[in-house]
Amino acid sequence: MIREVAWRVFAGEYNDSSYVYTEGGERAPSYVVTPLGARINRLLVVGVITEVENIATEEEPMWRARLEDSTGTFYISAGQYQPEAAQQLAKLEPPVFAAVMGKSRVYSPEEGTIYVSIRPEMVTKVSEDLRDFWVLEACKNLRERITAMKEAQQMDPLTKEGLIALGYKERLADGIVRAKQHYLDLEVDKYSGMLIDALRYLLPEFREQADVKEETVDEEKEDKETDVLKLIESLDKNGKGASWEDILKGAKKAGIKKDELEEIANELLDKGLVYEPVLGRMKKI
Amino acid sequence: MDREQIAPHVEDIKRALDDKVSEDQIAGELENYLNVYRVPLDSAKRSIVRKYGGNPAGLQVGVQKKLAELAPNEPSVSLLARVVSVNPKEIQVNGNAKNILYGILGDDTATVPFTAWEVENLEMEKGDTVRVENAYTKEYRGQVQINFGNRTTISPESPEAVPPFTPGPATVRPAKVADLREGFGGVSMTVRILSLEEREVMVEGNKKMVYSGVMADETGKAQFTAWKDYGLKEGDVLKIEGGYIRTWRGIPQLNFDERAEVNIVDEDFPSMDDLKTSPRIWIEDLIERGGAVDTTVRGILVDVKEGSGLIYRCPECRRVLRKNACRIHGEVEGEADLRIKAVIDDGSGAITAIFGRELTEKFLNKSMDVCIDMAKEAMTHEVVRDDLADMLIAQPIEVQGNVTRDDFGIMMIVNSAEVLKIEVEKEAREMLDDLEGLT
Ligand SMILES: [Zn+2]
Repeated sequence: MIREVAWRVFAGEYNDSSYVYTEGGERAPSYVVTPLGARINRLLVVGVITEVENIATEEEPMWRARLEDSTGTFYISAGQYQPEAAQQLAKLEPPVFAAVMGKSRVYSPEEGTIYVSIRPEMVTKVSEDLRDFWVLEACKNLRERITAMKEAQQMDPLTKEGLIALGYKERLADGIVRAKQHYLDLEVDKYSGMLIDALRYLLPEFREQADVKEETVDEEKEDKETDVLKLIESLDKNGKGASWEDILKGAKKAGIKKDELEEIANELLDKGLVYEPVLGRMKKI
Repeated sequence: MDREQIAPHVEDIKRALDDKVSEDQIAGELENYLNVYRVPLDSAKRSIVRKYGGNPAGLQVGVQKKLAELAPNEPSVSLLARVVSVNPKEIQVNGNAKNILYGILGDDTATVPFTAWEVENLEMEKGDTVRVENAYTKEYRGQVQINFGNRTTISPESPEAVPPFTPGPATVRPAKVADLREGFGGVSMTVRILSLEEREVMVEGNKKMVYSGVMADETGKAQFTAWKDYGLKEGDVLKIEGGYIRTWRGIPQLNFDERAEVNIVDEDFPSMDDLKTSPRIWIEDLIERGGAVDTTVRGILVDVKEGSGLIYRCPECRRVLRKNACRIHGEVEGEADLRIKAVIDDGSGAITAIFGRELTEKFLNKSMDVCIDMAKEAMTHEVVRDDLADMLIAQPIEVQGNVTRDDFGIMMIVNSAEVLKIEVEKEAREMLDDLEGLT
């Protein structure tokens, strides 16, 4: 069987995925399809590992880690079936630049909700230069998907063959057609913005500006953060953390949209005010 | 091909996959391979079976081919042909005498030698027209050979079933090097000869000089063989009409002979120096093509596989020893060697890359003797592989060499390699300017 390619994709796009499919047959591979049509069975990501934690026992460890790129967080978990990767994860001392290659994994607590993560095959410490190299590769690939998706939006009817005729490879054409059918109100512009931000991240002339932006804290946002933090605390009835679905419902009542909530939740995670005891639950620290 | 024509092949694939995949899905895949990628039916079927985890040996319905379309190492072919000649022969197999038949088959496109290994109940005479099912092909000295084994069936056909042999190019297919695929006939192309050598081969019992080498156009390089003396020289620009493609482990090779129209032309064409550079190719394209001569791939090295580092080889056959024993020659005194079996992924696909001793020593910055001492001290050969993994995994790398294909994917025997330093800022700035220019 031909080895699956390792996609270079940003966390911001990967985590937006809500579509997974299997190509029939018992041992057939499964794929996570991102909103821009990356059809991912394996991925290679590079960023900063900010946390590594054994959430199980010493005898049968289950290692969880967070890897941040400039657009978001990849969730990584390795257990007894990934002994080499687990061992390598255990050796890392965050924060550290690292490359992780692994298989796409999906956790679906209920129908319609999915969380994606990575089951690592390879974990290794890398240099900042390699991180930059990866960001550039991921940008090139993201740009191709954005262009392909924009063309797909113009095509009527949209077919794989039509995209291939435009010069796209089968692998991407197939993913684009699937994504277009699944993600009904896709906003490509969001990813165009992500691309431009990621490119600026590589350039020294934009670095200062980014720092300044972070310093001008929006007061309204700070208020909402406090609200969400209180919400998480109040929903944590059994000490195992509040479930994401409950947080989502509560936030909706308080007039906070899903996109905004995700941003706030990330902010709280970054600030170390909350953490995720398991994927899909949040707990106040 | 339409749905009706491919139906028996869809059935065949489905059976080879133990009915685990639906007919619709297989039909869709097969149409994709045949119509979008124009892969020959036989390779398409095998690729699909492999893709779903099956064994292509389970395929039973052969692909009926013209003789000129035969490629070496086809496991199952069906033919409609005339027996041009047939002779009995006695050979020795494991010390026992065995009777076989050999001869030549012909149709309207070509004549090809055959050997029948099971002659019981086999009746074939010169001039017969026969339908052959489940034969297989091999290559012998650059020529395709048809073999009849114990799965092969041969039945008589009426003489009108096979049109007479008509030499000369049939349909003309204009092509660039990057487009060449197994089984193509009637190929028309213009190339420059980069290297050339003469060699002697036996064809149908006679000595014959053939001329082979490497040719190129702006899309890449390929091997060629001229079965006739055209007075070729290195550097010549050739226009060939009526060539045909054979592949060796996925590497396409252009063949041309009396039936082709071959001219040395004086036209604008990329220079020797331009063509000698090894073009960078996406791994995805190499997988589609099957193989290529002198190719460059750039990607991230993601795995240093088992069997890398310090290894010991059999002094007789060069096979790698396992537990001090050769698979063929048993326990032997092994000879030390160094190599790397790596996986390189460029974001479009993955390739296995094999680095020999010289390159491995260069990466390690250590001689083999030092590695042997290291292994002794650590009491395991794995220290060398561990060193290589620490040094190479997750490095951006550029490798150059020939690419071949087998059932497990594509593989490069690396000729030269270099860890890359990439100008990230410059490219990022260009892309950003480009994008912001658009808005
Ligand atoms: Zn041996």
